[in-house]
Amino acid sequence: MTDNKIYFKFDGKRYGGNKGDTIASALLRNNVKLVGRSFKYHRPRGIYTCGIEEPNALVQIINEYNEPNVRATVKKIYEGMVVKSQNRWPSLKTDFGSVNNLLSPIFSAGFYYKTFMGPKGFWKNLYEPLIRRTAGLGKPPREFKSKSTHLHHNIDILIVGGGLSGLLAAKKLAGTDKDVLLIERENELGGILKNSNKVKSVNDQKTSEWLEKTERLLKNSANIKILKNTTVTTYNYSNHLTAIEDRSVGIEPDNKKSELVLHKIRTENTILANGHIERFLSFRNNDLPGVMLAASFEKYIQRYDVVPDNNPVIFTNNSSTFSLLKLLIDRKSMPKAYVDVRDLKKIEKETLDLLEAYNIPFYPKSEIEGCDGNSGIKNISVRTKKNKIIKIKASMLCVSGGINPDIHLFTQSKGLVKWDEKILTFKPEKSFQKTITLGSVSGNFIFKDIIDEVNKKLNFIDGVNDIDLKIEVNGSEEFNIKEIWETKNNNNSLWSKSFIDLQNDVTTKDLTQAIREGFDRIEHLKRFTTNSMGTDQGKISSINALGIVSKLLKKSVSEVGTTTYRPPYNPVSFSAIAGRSTYEFYDPERKTPIHPWHIKHNAVFEDVGQWKRPWYYKKYENETMNEAVQRESKQVRDSAGILDGSTLGKIEIKGKDALEFVNMMYTNSFTKMKPMSAKYALMLGEDGMVKDDGIVCKINDNHFITTTTSGGAANVLSHMEEFAQTEWPNLNVYLNSITEQFATFNISGPKSRIILSRVFNNIDFSNHKFPYMTFNTFDYLNYKVRILRASFTGEQGYEIYVPPKYALTLWERIFYYSRDVDLVPYGTETMHLLRAEKGYIIVGQETDGTVTPLDLNLNWMIGKKKKDFIGKRSLTRSDIIKGDRKQLVGLVPVDKSYGIEEGQHVIEDKNIPSQIDKPIKMLGQVTSSYFSPTLNHSIAMALIKEGNRKIGSQIYVSTSNMNVIPVEVVKPSFFDPENKRLLS
Amino acid sequence: MLLIKCPYCGERDQSEFTNGGEAHVTRPKNPEQVTDREWAEYVFIRSNPKGIYYERWVHTHGCKKWFNAVRNTSTDEILLTYKIGETPPPIKKFQNTLKSPSGEPDVGSGNFTVKKL
Ligand SMILES: [Zn+2]
Repeated sequence: MTDNKIYFKFDGKRYGGNKGDTIASALLRNNVKLVGRSFKYHRPRGIYTCGIEEPNALVQIINEYNEPNVRATVKKIYEGMVVKSQNRWPSLKTDFGSVNNLLSPIFSAGFYYKTFMGPKGFWKNLYEPLIRRTAGLGKPPREFKSKSTHLHHNIDILIVGGGLSGLLAAKKLAGTDKDVLLIERENELGGILKNSNKVKSVNDQKTSEWLEKTERLLKNSANIKILKNTTVTTYNYSNHLTAIEDRSVGIEPDNKKSELVLHKIRTENTILANGHIERFLSFRNNDLPGVMLAASFEKYIQRYDVVPDNNPVIFTNNSSTFSLLKLLIDRKSMPKAYVDVRDLKKIEKETLDLLEAYNIPFYPKSEIEGCDGNSGIKNISVRTKKNKIIKIKASMLCVSGGINPDIHLFTQSKGLVKWDEKILTFKPEKSFQKTITLGSVSGNFIFKDIIDEVNKKLNFIDGVNDIDLKIEVNGSEEFNIKEIWETKNNNNSLWSKSFIDLQNDVTTKDLTQAIREGFDRIEHLKRFTTNSMGTDQGKISSINALGIVSKLLKKSVSEVGTTTYRPPYNPVSFSAIAGRSTYEFYDPERKTPIHPWHIKHNAVFEDVGQWKRPWYYKKYENETMNEAVQRESKQVRDSAGILDGSTLGKIEIKGKDALEFVNMMYTNSFTKMKPMSAKYALMLGEDGMVKDDGIVCKINDNHFITTTTSGGAANVLSHMEEFAQTEWPNLNVYLNSITEQFATFNISGPKSRIILSRVFNNIDFSNHKFPYMTFNTFDYLNYKVRILRASFTGEQGYEIYVPPKYALTLWERIFYYSRDVDLVPYGTETMHLLRAEKGYIIVGQETDGTVTPLDLNLNWMIGKKKKDFIGKRSLTRSDIIKGDRKQLVGLVPVDKSYGIEEGQHVIEDKNIPSQIDKPIKMLGQVTSSYFSPTLNHSIAMALIKEGNRKIGSQIYVSTSNMNVIPVEVVKPSFFDPENKRLLS
Repeated sequence: MLLIKCPYCGERDQSEFTNGGEAHVTRPKNPEQVTDREWAEYVFIRSNPKGIYYERWVHTHGCKKWFNAVRNTSTDEILLTYKIGETPPPIKKFQNTLKSPSGEPDVGSGNFTVKKL
């Protein structure tokens, strides 16, 4: 490129912009004024503002990230950028949805709430497709590709806003020992000094010179850090704020560097110097492309050197538009007219002098009645003070309805605001946190007062000195405003509307209607009309709505109150919130030391908490889960199987009072238990419900090791810690998680003893030497293994605990010694099937937090002689001992060819009426169900009302195809109830 | 996000902590001797005041120690933290602290950023 232009595309057409241009300033430079369609009525919309407050000019950026709802007034262009307008179909100029505008009577306030109540079928067949096609904003990216990161700051003072007052605050703090962070939303410091020509000179220098000097001074101050292109989005408790920094300003995001940075800032004091936002006014067709806020118009000229229109009409109710008038005249762009709501006597002399000197058509005590045009302003109607309508041919209208301190962040901080009758707006009244407001955000619109304010409010900080400032302004220093919210209009055409919320297409008529329907509280009214509920949160219009409502209710604005501003200050990309926590970094994956072996042997994995556990192993390519599980479980019963149980939680309990503690934590009694023996144990909550189960190994009275369920390890440890620390701090007991210190293998099946005797040939595994539920530690090679005789399958079985670094070789060694024994690796699904055949429960499957040990028929696990344990007292509460609780039973289908579905209802009556008009009595639900290859039929466990008394009877289980199957209630132990195999 | 002072580690982000509900709910010494009602009080019933609340926290992603805190539930200010076993300070000690932000009433909630007269 030779012309220094940056080229980009908007709706397929190529345009050139200057370096530093936003999409909006570049489009205005090319005289493009129509940029979008509105949300509900699909009316043509243009660029209304020059910043973050923009309600209309939302566009979609087409690139790798496909970013929707980008404010054209904020986003800087880059070479080759592709931009598309939103909310239009098929194209911006001929939009199908604009027919909505003519249907507007049905889109009035409360439309959504009312139509949802419409005739049956209307929503599904008519409204939803219509709304989905035409409403809504941009389209989200299909795939999440964006890259962002998080940064933390712990500082003394945060300054929000690098405008005049923010810079003065920073200057005052420069060189002190305070850690200061200055955050500026734009890519340059300066704020009002850059946005307008209100300030003529600072300390007798041009504003640009003063800015340059000040920035240099701040950059050379070691205690001050400046972040540009950064927007503070939330202000939380404890002076914790978050800000989003855009690191791809003016460049195409490239996936190598972070596009956005989420700054998390913790500060001692916060200085809010985040300025003000101009508000608009409601009049007929105040949404037409060509209507723009006056200060924004000025900002385009000052900051971007774009004059959106050479001869606009200016419409104001206050003194702030003087600077725009002067700027236009200085640039020889004569306004077509100056319309001021104020009385001639109230208008400042400087404005009157200018208007007279340049002979600009001037209408005091007048207002804009409305604008007309198709896709942009053609005519503007002025209602003069004599109530005469004068039509002016013009294509732009600059509007100022007053100035609002940007109190959004201040109210987020829980600060109190108060209505000020002089400046007709809310301003901060009392801080809730250590929050200081400076400049226009504090309601101070007078430049010469700023330096006193800065000195006064910051002198409490150690090490600061008074600073000085001489400031000269263009025009009058005084701020003067007349109350007006909406002008009178006399047009009743359906197309003409007077808007109060441009983004959500809420009209002033909607407010009137809502109040008429009884929504006279501001929080209700907001939700009913959706006023200020768009992504811009009504930054230029929410105060106006209060003004209109207060007039309608004949109350003061103070009485009406303001709605709460909610974080974030402006929309935040999910990418920034997610930061680096995406894809594989979203949640840790925990893998056992045997993981590589599982992969090599075609394990299909199941997520258990964060663990990856083999679910089943595919023996051949097309083996289904069902086939694999049937094969694995049969092989365990026929010869032997091995399960990687390393994920099992393991907690070590030590201390002089370990025995007393373990006795309190579990239902069982451990007092008379022999050292080096183990017990299956139940843990309850204080409410008496089963919380966890596991095996407690007693080394001696001062040393226990317990296992927990794989998913429950962390919870069980914290449950124990809580009681150890808060209830019995006097007990000498120490708890330690040793889950990762040992890999665990469960070997079970009739041939498990043979295999172990071969691997550990110096150990005697005979029943006599190594009985069921005992354990010991053995030297093996150059390390130690602990072996426990226990089983979760009902077969002869052993658990081997081995240090993780030797685990894989030991695992392979076991297979080496089992070459001629049919040892099968099995996964969690087979484990579940085998334990179900035995009727063993799984916490979280047979229990759901409402099940006591009595409900599970596990009374034998309760230490009868124990005076107390966690949850014991609850087991005798009246509700627990009443007879009609659900109890655990087994179910077997009467016709053995049927299968029972897990989760189905258990019912008493086999007849389900074809027309169900009252609830069918439910006895309970199926908690586990499998097809047992050993028994060759379906088995199930279920929790049903008075289950124990129903054993032997026939009841019914519903099926997913609206049928019932008859089942027989049995004791929940289907296989080897005498435990012959277990103890063999 | 609150800044919470762990009595063992010092001030840390709220994200390191877990709230453990009301503090100073003591487990009955002889559970067998209390009535169903008294036992239910201990297991299920907690106070829920708007204002000063004594509660327990645990420094989950830190020293894992439990401790007590005094928090104003309407302003979310944590006024004091102290170790388990230390005597809780009397409630009148916090009488002069802010009752609620933004001029909210003492009872009930509300979105009152404008001071009620
Ligand atoms: Zn700590």
